[in-house]
Amino acid sequence: MYQPDTQPIAPRHPDVVMRLDRLGSFHQSRVSFMRILLRRLQSDGWRFDRALFDIDARGVGRAVYTAHGPDRSYSLVAFANDLPPEKRSDRVIATEWDATFTLFDGVPDTADLDRLHANVPRQEAGRVSEKELSLSRANRSVRLWDHVVDSLASGQQPDAARVADVGYLMRTTAVYGSGKFGAADREQTADRPECQAPFQIEMLSVYLTRAFVMDLVEHMARMRAPDTAVPLDPDLRRRFGIGNSTGLGMAPFLVTHPALLNNWIATREEALARIRSLPRATADEADTLRRFAIRAHIHAGDWQSDHPVQIAKLDALRADMAALLAHLDTADLQTDQPWNRLWLWAEGALSLEGQELLASLLLEPYPRLVDPLACCMAADETATWRIDGAMRTDRLRALMQDIYGWALGIDWTSPAAQARVWYTSEAKLEPRLGERFDEPIEPYEQPLCPGRDAARLWADLAEAPDDTVAGFLMRHPQHRHIVRRAQIAARLPYAEIRDNTIDAAMMPIDMLRLKLSFFGACHFDPRSDRWLRINMYQHAPFPHELGDRSGDDWAYPFLATAAE
Amino acid sequence: MTWSLNEIEALSRKAARGAGLSWGLAEEAGKAARWLVAQGLPGPQVLADLLTRNDGKDYETLCPHDDDGGHWTARGGTLCPLISGAALCDHASRLAAGEALHLGRTASPMLLLPYLDAAARIAGREVTVSWAGVTLTCGTPDGMTTDMAPDLTADMVDAVSIHPGNRCDTDAIPPTTRGDIPETTARTLDAFAQRTYAPETEASRLAGAGAGLTDND
Repeated sequence: MYQPDTQPIAPRHPDVVMRLDRLGSFHQSRVSFMRILLRRLQSDGWRFDRALFDIDARGVGRAVYTAHGPDRSYSLVAFANDLPPEKRSDRVIATEWDATFTLFDGVPDTADLDRLHANVPRQEAGRVSEKELSLSRANRSVRLWDHVVDSLASGQQPDAARVADVGYLMRTTAVYGSGKFGAADREQTADRPECQAPFQIEMLSVYLTRAFVMDLVEHMARMRAPDTAVPLDPDLRRRFGIGNSTGLGMAPFLVTHPALLNNWIATREEALARIRSLPRATADEADTLRRFAIRAHIHAGDWQSDHPVQIAKLDALRADMAALLAHLDTADLQTDQPWNRLWLWAEGALSLEGQELLASLLLEPYPRLVDPLACCMAADETATWRIDGAMRTDRLRALMQDIYGWALGIDWTSPAAQARVWYTSEAKLEPRLGERFDEPIEPYEQPLCPGRDAARLWADLAEAPDDTVAGFLMRHPQHRHIVRRAQIAARLPYAEIRDNTIDAAMMPIDMLRLKLSFFGACHFDPRSDRWLRINMYQHAPFPHELGDRSGDDWAYPFLATAAE
Repeated sequence: MTWSLNEIEALSRKAARGAGLSWGLAEEAGKAARWLVAQGLPGPQVLADLLTRNDGKDYETLCPHDDDGGHWTARGGTLCPLISGAALCDHASRLAAGEALHLGRTASPMLLLPYLDAAARIAGREVTVSWAGVTLTCGTPDGMTTDMAPDLTADMVDAVSIHPGNRCDTDAIPPTTRGDIPETTARTLDAFAQRTYAPETEASRLAGAGAGLTDND
């Protein structure tokens, strides 16, 4: 170990990081949950088997895929359906899907399968038990599905360009976890090593779903033309990810899990700060960064969207990547805090998309510095949840200025500042966003606008005599939730999104992308300002390939001459 | 059929909000019902009963007023245990300092227990709570011992006294388990929760979630 001869770089300030336009430009990284999962599946030598695959020529039936870890097994139970096109909807209000799934805790017996068959295809209208850890469903991408089945049935490989254009054969439209619809609470599994990092159950479920979908498409081709059908070429097969269609339901989660949000962001920021602090880098590390930047450039080229906002962001990102590659050609990446110098260059030269992609890329050469941080990403919300009633109100005032200064400067009497209302509809309890001044929804407003609520608290604090928080809240119970948030954010600096979540110009997709980037998703493709499609596990090895191929290095397209 | 604790908490939180409690108090009511179920106590049933009895009453009539150093009473005559419980927890430093607190007439005192358990852990002292026919200690290393005396679920008591006891520094070990809610209780809580949902309209169905495009692609 050498003594550093340079000053350590502090993590970025939450006022910089926690803005929606920046959070909405985040990319997957070494600490994304899919990559944490596949690294574990590989390093712990998990085994996989397909205990059941009973699906008829119409594509109806059931299948079981089991992952066996060192201590426990988990089984994806899949029910395939022959769905008429008029019923195919990605919205949460849909009632039928092409396929439905649950992740079973262990290995199900026939009685379990029969019980699940009566419930899982009905999703929210059914009921699962503490033996089930997740509940999800998926719809086909019809245009690519038909093309792949037709091609394989006639003995041909599908057209690689069409595969690249869509990127997946099915997209999940909801993956429910912890305690939903009767499933096991997270507390039931949280102390298992393989479940310690966030969303590992959901990520495993989606990973096995991808394997099932690829088996299903080959099976359908075989059923149609047993004499001529061929399986997919293994390299082409890995170019299929599993899609996901995500709506507003994800956004409230980020606001209602402040400690968890903090730990995700704090982990990534700590990793970035550690790397920026390095006094020097080896030639290998510099080469690794250059190689990943080239792959990320290809990735940005493969990324398609029809949404005007994302099109503009992608144009900027591609220009950023060209500028970055040109800069990397000549820059000294080895001496004098090379990564911090690169970072400071990027802050002046790149758009937010490019800056945040560079933040992810900088983690790639340093698995030993970054990967152990993954254990810090889970959170116990209860540890910081109780209000500290002994705090004095002048201390609370100081906290408010520090954490919500951005909100106290907003003119909340302006209609644009509080144009939106987050509410829950009667239909399947779907979260929605409405227009405060056009719809009669204000009475149903959910507490998902911390900035506005902080400003209201601030106004009442200004009038209140010096007191304890306990005394103040006895007289002002309506501020209780925002006092809690302020006290949490005082301890956990990245707990709060520091931006107006009810502004007329707010883009909910920024909140969705933030969460999905931590899952490890790619190719964010907004379909409106409030829902988007993504791709997951594209280029990743399938379960039977883990061990022969890296469980970690798959998140960017491979260079033709390198890993392939 | 059993419920997950997350479901019980969510339903209870929404019901408390639908019954008129502030968001912060409703969040704590959800946690309280969950904690009681995890202890094997009928939290949702007692909550449903309390919300029904207090439906339409003003916060001002239900909240504690500390008019006489440590003696809390409600202007409306009967303290709400959800409001008083949250306030007790906020005042844990007084318990830590050895001060006893006394509540006047209180509805459904069992609902105070989760708040007092939290207060004991914040204060670092065991807290003994008693009302007619019931004496319990919160914050003990083994968790609370309850023998389900009928008085535990009393819907009204004339007085509750709360005394700080021995030092304790144990972390709560929440028993993770499942819960069962009688159908009538679930129906009552759900009726309150429904008040928090906006009625469905075609416009909100299309605009509110921002979809409406075909998914057959």
